[in-house]
Amino acid sequence: MEGAYDEIISDNPFFRDLKNEYTNLFQHCITQSWIICVPRVGILNTRVFTVEDFCAHILVPSDELPETHYSTLTEKQVTVTNKVITLEVTKGLPLQSHILFEETFYTEDFIKYKVWCIESALEPSTTTSDNVVTKDCLLSINDCIDLLWTQAAGRHVLDQIEQNVQIFLKKHSCLPIAISTLREAISELYTLCLQTTLQNRRLREKSKASKHILDNIKLAVESYMQHLLFESLFKTICTSCAYEDSHLNKKIRNMSDIQLRDLDIKKELYHAVPKAKQILSKIDTYSSVLEKILCLKQALNAINKNDNSYNVVLLTADDLLPVFVFLLIKSGLPNWYSQLTYMKEFRFSCVGKGDSDESAFLITTLEAVIEHIQSGALAGPPDPESHYYYDSNLTEENLQSNTQRRSSLTESISTSETNSREETLEYVFELIKANHTEQVQAILEKNQKHLKSIQQNEKSILKFALEESLNNNNDDDDDDDDDSTESEIYQKLCHPLCNCKKCWCKISKNLLKTSPTVTSRDSHGLTPLHVACIHGKAAIVEILLDMGADVNATDLNESIPLHYAASRGHQNALLLLLHSGADINKPNIDKNTPLHLAVNNGHMNCVKALIYFAEHSRKRIIVNCTNESGNTPLHLAAKWGYEGIARLLIENGAEPSRLNKHNKTAFDCAHNLKILQVLKSCTPNLYEYIHITSSDIKTLSCKSDNLEYLKLEKLSVKNSDYVNNPTKTIENLKRIERILQAISYGDVKLACFYLNINYDTFNENTNTVKESLCHPLCECQYCKRKSQSHVSDFDINFSDTNGFTALHYAARFGLEELCKILIHNKADVNCTNRKGQTPLHLAAIYNKTKVISLLLDNGANINAIDVAGNTPLHNASDMGNIGATKELIKYNPDISLLNASERSALDVAKKKVHLTIIDLIEKYSSKL
Amino acid sequence: MMTSAPSGTHNFKVVLLGEGCVGKTSLLLRYIEDKFNDKHLTTLQATFLNKKLNINGKRINLSIWDTAGQEKFHALGPIYYRNSNGAILVYDITDEDSFVKVKNWVKELKKMLGSDIVLIIAGNKIDLEHERTVPLEEAESYSTMVGAKHYYTSAKLNQGVEELFLDLTREMVDRFEQNSQADVSRTSRVLVVDDETPVQTSCCSGNRST
Repeated sequence: MEGAYDEIISDNPFFRDLKNEYTNLFQHCITQSWIICVPRVGILNTRVFTVEDFCAHILVPSDELPETHYSTLTEKQVTVTNKVITLEVTKGLPLQSHILFEETFYTEDFIKYKVWCIESALEPSTTTSDNVVTKDCLLSINDCIDLLWTQAAGRHVLDQIEQNVQIFLKKHSCLPIAISTLREAISELYTLCLQTTLQNRRLREKSKASKHILDNIKLAVESYMQHLLFESLFKTICTSCAYEDSHLNKKIRNMSDIQLRDLDIKKELYHAVPKAKQILSKIDTYSSVLEKILCLKQALNAINKNDNSYNVVLLTADDLLPVFVFLLIKSGLPNWYSQLTYMKEFRFSCVGKGDSDESAFLITTLEAVIEHIQSGALAGPPDPESHYYYDSNLTEENLQSNTQRRSSLTESISTSETNSREETLEYVFELIKANHTEQVQAILEKNQKHLKSIQQNEKSILKFALEESLNNNNDDDDDDDDDSTESEIYQKLCHPLCNCKKCWCKISKNLLKTSPTVTSRDSHGLTPLHVACIHGKAAIVEILLDMGADVNATDLNESIPLHYAASRGHQNALLLLLHSGADINKPNIDKNTPLHLAVNNGHMNCVKALIYFAEHSRKRIIVNCTNESGNTPLHLAAKWGYEGIARLLIENGAEPSRLNKHNKTAFDCAHNLKILQVLKSCTPNLYEYIHITSSDIKTLSCKSDNLEYLKLEKLSVKNSDYVNNPTKTIENLKRIERILQAISYGDVKLACFYLNINYDTFNENTNTVKESLCHPLCECQYCKRKSQSHVSDFDINFSDTNGFTALHYAARFGLEELCKILIHNKADVNCTNRKGQTPLHLAAIYNKTKVISLLLDNGANINAIDVAGNTPLHNASDMGNIGATKELIKYNPDISLLNASERSALDVAKKKVHLTIIDLIEKYSSKL
Repeated sequence: MMTSAPSGTHNFKVVLLGEGCVGKTSLLLRYIEDKFNDKHLTTLQATFLNKKLNINGKRINLSIWDTAGQEKFHALGPIYYRNSNGAILVYDITDEDSFVKVKNWVKELKKMLGSDIVLIIAGNKIDLEHERTVPLEEAESYSTMVGAKHYYTSAKLNQGVEELFLDLTREMVDRFEQNSQADVSRTSRVLVVDDETPVQTSCCSGNRST
């Protein structure tokens, strides 16, 4: 461990004297392999050692118990337990001394002897110097502060470090995100802090005297600095590790119900797991690397602890890794990767000691555990949609056992024809898991028919019984035979071989219990549909739904199949369920909706499917619903760092400022700046459009003074069928949103794709745009459209609610190429947005000279005026865009036009004092 | 990686590699605690152990890392063995598969760490000599071929363990001193001669007398 005591034994005066002055005694010790105890340097006052001093420190192992019992050469009995030497003295308490470390020496002839460096002398009479005993190990930030305070006799060293940190933070108001640069910057600060610390005279002298103290000072300085920096430093690390963390979280979330036995953890270690988990989950409360490493160590020690029966469990690496995997999964921390990076990259004080000490080992263990979880070597399905999930689940190791299992399965399948008793519900579940579609269907259908015939029989029996009871009131038949055992049933029959309807019914009823149907449940309340959803067998889900399985059947956790499909990320199964009318907002026992579960486990595809399905079918999905702990899906997305999902949720109306039961908003749950940025920057822009229904449109059109109304009216003139078909309107609004977004990213290809324009024909490239669906079975609108013919059903001049068309955006972002394409596809160059701006206005405002000339060459009106009466030239002069002004002037604008504030373009330029522009316009007017 | 503190203490990292159940942990415990399958161990974890050595006045701090042997953890190997100065590859002389594993490890280590690492191959469980399945000659000739030392050990009978670790340590010291010498000569002579190959001194002939 860092800070453990160390000294160079051969420099110790006690050892040196023994070796040089008492060579015979020394040699004898070596040949007899006696143990030499050396009191740590500085502990003995005497300058001259006598032969008695040495003899008192040479231990001869006893014959019976050579490991624990020794006698000194001065005939005193010594016992050693737990690295503590106890010396029996005649008077008073026994003398104790810690073994600080053991060093094995080899002579030139490779004869081995052991030296123990001990804390205090083994002589009761020796006067030990009152050298202040410093703490050997620094165990917390308080120890570090303590050390710097007491050793420097005052807090000015601490103050200086604090000052350095303050200056550093002021200088770097925004820390670099890249880990390597960040590390360099912090390393520089550490060097600075250490330098200022060692300027302190007391500390300098003490550290010169002992390397051990120097090491501890280094460590203390580092820890104190990290403690002060922690807030800003760790957030930055989290931000740079955001991607890794969110991926790790997804993996961990999907394994969250893993059990100890799933990981082959030794039974002997079970009892220690809760304690270790408790320790490890506190790791994020520590601010310095030192304390975090100590936390790992404590967790390791907790695993190591004896249980009550004092059974010694030797912990090997093979045992340790799975336990740590389990602890990590169950810890509930969202930033393990960042924690690892912090510990790995920001340990400066260990430089020179190599990275092979125990701390390095602990960090490496953590890294290995994270790597193991990341690699997917654990049970988690690599691709939830894979048909071969059952197979892909197998590792080489258990391949053999599984093939055996499989063969036994097929065996039992073949026998199942003859022996219907074998067809238990468990067996059907097993079949579903193995994706044996036909068998599942066959068994369930057979049983269903069976059931129906029984029901028919029952009816007829009822009739029969009724008739009978009319004849004689003797009614001995109870309905309590449901819970009777098989033998009882046979006893109840008229005769063991009786074949009368009544008896047959009784037997059938009993059979029914073991013959599973589509509606039967196991002890957890799971129906076949639940199981099919858990394993993501879309084909089986479809069959079961066809056979009339209850899509909203709940199990003991009040979960419906949709919950399982969402939490496991099975998009196909999810969509099938939704189409069959599954309750999209159903809460389970923890009040989690399917959306919660899909978000929690990071299944973007399922979150999308849920939201898009809700839009499409105009069902309301409650995006801001809360679970048992008051978390909305957005809280979960923020906590686990799923950026994409968080963005999607906010765009669909999730509110980041909602409080959960711990009074935390989604902002508070965010662990890094990236996700925080997503939460802050995203606006629920799509939300309005999605929930427009036909009635909404009617109310809109009532308000005649509303600009939106004007727009809608305009639209209706242009595309009258859109108003009749609100779904299409919504769809197009959504689509234009996507197009505009693509343009704002500068992605011409994507924009063209959304616009149904073949980009490559413009690019004179024969390659066709590769079109791919979200998923082969995906039924979202987007894919449907793609799989349809490529006839453009989209008006290129369609605008969003602010009246922006694609051409507006292309002009605004200066995408000349896209402008060309749009104009070629008959986009209206003079279309106006709600502010009355044409694309040319926007190009003038954003100084896109090439676009300006392109638009003007294609018939754009150079004197178009917007709502405020500004021409493009007004805008260009106002913004001081020289290039744009030059370009506009080439096309002979009317400079006499005044805007709403009665100003000409020249006035505007003068007001803003854009000298070049004034000059340009004046020159132009003089030419006229 | 190879570091020596100003005081002249060498810090070496040694990894124990090998399949599960070949006795890696037993070897380690025998070396550190001198015990085998004992109920009275002072250390309860055998995943990381430290040993201070002093060979002829040279202080060496050995950090010995045990690794997981189960196949499912194989991919984690590089995380453990990077930056190590020595590796002990253990196989069970009664288990041919474990020797194949050793060969794989050797290949992997050579690929990842080059020749910087000192390799020792240990055939463990020689107390079960009568059940031997890995031929003696094969193991030894293979070891020489890959430039590794071969040792026969028995953690149970305490045979060869001490020697193995001592030899490994001495070789690591030699390798380290050679490298630092080569560094010095390279930097100082680079202008005078550029085609001189560094003198290859044989492994264990380091000057003992100093």
